[in-house]
Amino acid sequence: MKNIYKTIAFTIIITTSLFLTTACADEYLDDPKIFAIDSENFFNSEQDYYNALIGAYDPLQSTFINVLMGEIASNNTLAGGESATDVPGYQQIDDMIHTPINTQLQNLWSWMYGGVNRATYIIEFEDKTDFEGKEIILAEARFLRAYYNFELVKWFGSIPIKPEGRFNVGDEKTIPRAPLAEVYAYIESDLEYAVANLNYTAPQVGRATKGAAEALLGKVYLYQDKFTEASNIFDSVINNGGYMLETDYNKIFEFQGENGVGSVFEVQYTDIQGAGFGCLQCSEGNVAVGFQGVRGYTGDSFTSGFSFNVPTQEMVNQFEVGDLRKDVAILDIEAWAATTGATFTTGFEHTGFYNRKYIPRKRSTDAAGDLNLTNPNNYRAIRFADVLLMAAEANNRKEIPNDTKARLFLNRVRARAFGNTNNEITVGGAALTAAIYQERRVELVGEGHHFFDLVRTGRGTQIPGFTPNKNEVFPIPFEEIQFSQGNWEQNQGYTN
Amino acid sequence: MRKQILFLFLLSMAFYTNAQTFNVSGIVKDASSGDVLPGVSIVVKDTNKGTQTDFDGNYSIKELNTNTILIFRYLGYKQKEVMVTGPKLNVSLDLETEALDEIIVVGYGKQKRKDVTGSVSIVGEETFEVLRPIDATTALQGTTPGVTVNLSSGAPGAAVNVLIRGVSSNTNNQPLTIVDGYEGNLNSINPNDIESITVLKDAQAAIYGIRGANGVVLVTTKRGKRNKGATVKYDTYTSIQQTTRKLNYLNATEYALVLNEAYAASGQSLPFNDVSQLGLGTDFQEQLFNNALLMNHNISVSGGGENFRYFLSANRTDQDGIIAADNSNFERNNIKINFDVDITDKLNFALISNYFTTASEGFDNSVLFNALNYSPTFGLNEDDTTNFLGIELINPLNQLQNTFNKNNGNGLEGNFKLAYKPIDGLTITSRLGYKIFNERGRTFTPIQNYGESKVFNTLQSSVYQFKQTSTRVVLETFANYEKTFAENHNTTFTLGTSVQNDLFDGIYATGINVPNNSFDFADLSLTDPFNEQRSLNSGTSDVRLTSYFSRLQYDFKGKYLFSGLVRRDAASVFDKNLRVDHFWSATTGWKISDEDFLKDNKTISFMKLRASYGTLGNLVGNNLNRSFLSGEAEYVFDGALVSGEAQGGLPNPLAQWETAVKLDIGLDINLFNDKVAIVADYFEESRENLLIQNFPVSGILGSAAPGGANPTVNAGTSKNTGAEFAINYNAIKTENASLNLSYNVTYVNNEVTEVAGGAFLEGGSFAIGNLPPSRMEVGQPIGYFLGLQTNGIFQNQEEIDAHPSQSALGATTTSPGDIRYVDVNEDGVIDINDRTNIGKPQADFFMGFNIAGTYKNWDFSAYLYAETGREIVRNYERFLPNVNKPNYYLGRWTGEGTSNTIPRLTNDATNNRLFSDFFVEDGSFLRLQNIQVGYNLLPNTLEKLGISKLRLYTSVQNLFTITDYSGFDPTINGGAIGAGIDSGTYPSARQFIVGLNIEF
Repeated sequence: MKNIYKTIAFTIIITTSLFLTTACADEYLDDPKIFAIDSENFFNSEQDYYNALIGAYDPLQSTFINVLMGEIASNNTLAGGESATDVPGYQQIDDMIHTPINTQLQNLWSWMYGGVNRATYIIEFEDKTDFEGKEIILAEARFLRAYYNFELVKWFGSIPIKPEGRFNVGDEKTIPRAPLAEVYAYIESDLEYAVANLNYTAPQVGRATKGAAEALLGKVYLYQDKFTEASNIFDSVINNGGYMLETDYNKIFEFQGENGVGSVFEVQYTDIQGAGFGCLQCSEGNVAVGFQGVRGYTGDSFTSGFSFNVPTQEMVNQFEVGDLRKDVAILDIEAWAATTGATFTTGFEHTGFYNRKYIPRKRSTDAAGDLNLTNPNNYRAIRFADVLLMAAEANNRKEIPNDTKARLFLNRVRARAFGNTNNEITVGGAALTAAIYQERRVELVGEGHHFFDLVRTGRGTQIPGFTPNKNEVFPIPFEEIQFSQGNWEQNQGYTN
Repeated sequence: MRKQILFLFLLSMAFYTNAQTFNVSGIVKDASSGDVLPGVSIVVKDTNKGTQTDFDGNYSIKELNTNTILIFRYLGYKQKEVMVTGPKLNVSLDLETEALDEIIVVGYGKQKRKDVTGSVSIVGEETFEVLRPIDATTALQGTTPGVTVNLSSGAPGAAVNVLIRGVSSNTNNQPLTIVDGYEGNLNSINPNDIESITVLKDAQAAIYGIRGANGVVLVTTKRGKRNKGATVKYDTYTSIQQTTRKLNYLNATEYALVLNEAYAASGQSLPFNDVSQLGLGTDFQEQLFNNALLMNHNISVSGGGENFRYFLSANRTDQDGIIAADNSNFERNNIKINFDVDITDKLNFALISNYFTTASEGFDNSVLFNALNYSPTFGLNEDDTTNFLGIELINPLNQLQNTFNKNNGNGLEGNFKLAYKPIDGLTITSRLGYKIFNERGRTFTPIQNYGESKVFNTLQSSVYQFKQTSTRVVLETFANYEKTFAENHNTTFTLGTSVQNDLFDGIYATGINVPNNSFDFADLSLTDPFNEQRSLNSGTSDVRLTSYFSRLQYDFKGKYLFSGLVRRDAASVFDKNLRVDHFWSATTGWKISDEDFLKDNKTISFMKLRASYGTLGNLVGNNLNRSFLSGEAEYVFDGALVSGEAQGGLPNPLAQWETAVKLDIGLDINLFNDKVAIVADYFEESRENLLIQNFPVSGILGSAAPGGANPTVNAGTSKNTGAEFAINYNAIKTENASLNLSYNVTYVNNEVTEVAGGAFLEGGSFAIGNLPPSRMEVGQPIGYFLGLQTNGIFQNQEEIDAHPSQSALGATTTSPGDIRYVDVNEDGVIDINDRTNIGKPQADFFMGFNIAGTYKNWDFSAYLYAETGREIVRNYERFLPNVNKPNYYLGRWTGEGTSNTIPRLTNDATNNRLFSDFFVEDGSFLRLQNIQVGYNLLPNTLEKLGISKLRLYTSVQNLFTITDYSGFDPTINGGAIGAGIDSGTYPSARQFIVGLNIEF
């Protein structure tokens, strides 16, 4: 009999333990240790906001593709590269052929929206934690969001916007492409907030200033032909920002010229971290620089690259005699090789010219990873010379033009370009407008602005292969049209 | 007359003994081995009286009469009726030798094969003995209908993908592997330790609930036998491996001529002005491939006493790679302990333990790609210093010389098990399964320079080291209760619970500037402590699962069979409100051959119809409902790199597991006294809520930002419909000779029936600048290839003019010699919308044909495997002007009428390199996987030496492959979307083996 009791006891123990595990089991699932910060649980301290702000600045580095493709799209340069099929996306943009397959255009779209969402992330949680100086971080977030959105609107025209927060899965099917006016109003309001809350001196070099916000706002006005508003805000930058033209044009594009007196806003890069082709947007270096380098180069001052974005003879001819900017902007590789003994190979569409402002310089031994993808050259996104020329244009083109003021700004730029005041522009009206346009082209060559200057001023047809009422903007990436499932129409003139 | 007297005598004896009762006791043993048999059921005929043997095989029954008949029943043994003649009755039971009576594990229980109502395949010990797989999984290929085995690569130690009845999920298709009750992996087990593998293919596997949808592989390892002295076995083999194939590429002269032609066509100056001195040049493939050694040693000892049994084994496998053996090799050591002890006659304790270590070295797959594409005009170790081949191709031999890595692993897996039998028919089992795997690795990247701007250049040396540990603990308790009611109603009831915890922890670090640029000093401690690129990282995860399950198996007279089961699972990886689900299945069977009308049929010796239906889950993904700040947030402030926080992968708050709904209808028929066995199945599986990782989403969601990722979404349904047929024919079975032939074939048709949002998903990659070639799309098989359809080559300008314009594809001019694409949508232009289905990576049919025979002391076997109806994308060509090319370009178009398949050569932009059926090849193949001859040395001579068996054998693996595919290996595949794209993968090896088996 004893055995039976034992048996029963044992059975009870096993059965009970079986059901005890049952009872507590679901609670057991509640708290796995995962050691990770949940995105919705963040923004609990000033440090959190600051850290998220770094995250919002990070995608600025991926704007290398905007600059590179923007220049290729213009009539300043040819795509180049190794062969006719090297990076087909760039080749298509150069030739104004837009097939639905353009990885690079898709990258630009997605990377800029990456920036938009990271900036919006901070704004979405703006009320969660208070601390002194928060408005500066929030203003920078708005500046960055405006910067990314402005890039998107420049490239694609009307775009989907969501000011209240990050985009969620499904928004692509419901949020329409907002009309241009609405997109611009949104960008303006972000920049107005930034102007109101930022100072002319940033807490750290590399962060946005009031000057940067004003200059960008002025540029946004200019793109809408709001010349009066533009000229007013440019006046503020010019008079209050404390910027000066760097005397030596050449110095601007060398490492010692980074974040100099003429720099209104600059995208910061470094070469201390490696990078790979698998995630170009992850590089902390300026990827465009390596892409524009001289193919197979060995010699002084520079290092080699992939020979994309090569200036044309027609562009080089734009420089007037005596313009000191020519030898800074353009590297005539044959001449350079002849004097320095450097060697090089030729790539596709070899013109003999390179975009000297942004080709790889010799580097320190600390440089890391794939040298071509990690060049540390900062991108001078908004230069004071650019501001002066935009201000000149705004004054010249506004309802009640002020050509005197326009000429003053223009000639400041020209005085530096020639090293003297013997080349001043004296004309007014439309001739002055043309002179300003021409000055923008040579002053800013290689910096990714010319294509957009052409289309915003209705001069797109100067670009070979350009079709008016179509090529002013690029096609919305094919994949995006598919994701939207009918919510977004393709841009005018493009088919899917 | 004498018979009558005898009869009367017996009769009187009967009367005599009938007059008294006595207690009968004895021991029940296995007739052949002499092992005691615990748990044998003993019933007094025509009564309810009965008992069971204890763990030592002893039984006793009180108050029996003489002449009483005792029925001895034991699973796997022939039933025996014995007349009681006295108080001592020892009985020996004979094993059921028929396959139908084989005992198979079915998950938390066992069944006789003839009673199984699900779809099950079994691979026995003998298959492993013949096939000698390094990874046990490969033994399933061709031997089990419905199972396909794909190598991810032929590299030693490479992962093996198993598919049961085709691809259903594009996340994880690997079946659940249960080894002796613990969840294990086939790649860590010594194949010599395996007694059998049972594959559960249908809804019967629903007892594994959320883990069972991909099928379940149940592995049983060898045990010792009770009351038996030690048996020692030693097995060893050595093999020489070589590549199964080299690709035909151009030699230096052919290459130079071809390049010249392309340059000339583009009006460029010729790269080779004098080709007369080039000769054959360097064959980089030839330099890469080598004959490689594989050695395997295995020793085991097994046996047992009255209360215990044991099986111990040790194994070492050492395999060099067929490419660069110094850089590509694999080593595994196993120590196995299986031990059972009876604590009391009702309580048994078992320990199963497998300790293993692995070591491997490998190289980047780009080595093969470089070997194919590197110019044959270069010398052996000559670098392309002028970037003649572009920046992405380097000398493969120099690349190998700069390859240094070592990965080591060790693990312990197994379980402790207590089985308690409190009353007749009830067994309560509680077991703790565990699996610990520690891995550590070290990769040294030296300073490398292959020429200006090469992407493989590294200016600084670095060392990457990692350590990671994964731990799995599963506590299971379940009860099985067997009872026969009213003689004919046999029931087994199972009730159980399981709690599982998977933990993962890893630390990863990179150090910069390794002293002396040498692997000998490649350690973090020796690197530059202040270098900003020094990095430190870690990863961790904690996944928990709780489950309850219950199953009822019932049969009436063993003729009408039924089982039903239900399982509840809750997984911590999903949102709290969405984490619980129930899975269930019902199976039924009808042994038609037990019916009166077939009972004595001469032809049909066994026939069973069975059906199963149910739901199962596939647990994939972890914390998909949350977004972590794992994105990259790095920028430069004040001239220094600063680091912040950004969102990583996008969350999907509604994420759940995948659910499979499976139907199987099967028929088992044995003919001619079981000489012929046929198993046929029809199956349907609908995989719903397919979890799609990195689900492509609109760029506006921001997932393309640095360190971001797309969400994992339950976004589709795919359906597999198919049939399996297997026939086994025991052609000869005599004392001196035997011959067994078997053939199996499986047909699977996959169709995607739903993709969330109604669109499609794409993946994979082809060359550079092409849209993703693979798709998951409604109405099409999963991962099918979407590309342009070709229709020959334009022979002249008139043909081009007569054809819709192809300029919308990218290259604006089309010239004679270019590929003509079909205007599939007939809209008068050839563009991206003309892409169509041009193939699929998964086979329609796969089949195995196996022969095994013996004659006197000789044995012989051959295993053939074939797949048909599948395509492979040729993606190992790099489209740059100066790279080497496959020699099919020798047959290129060079003028009207020269070729209608291979386009002209030019350096101009053409549309010829867009993804089209020109790059898609038939991947069907037939492979002789193994052919083997063995010889058993004569036993008489050996016995004097104390050796009971000595066999020598020789075999060849992968002797030949018949295929039209031009790449390295048509068997290489794996995955769902993006499968079947061959970028120059490591081919499988052909092996010439000699081996020896000794038994003491």
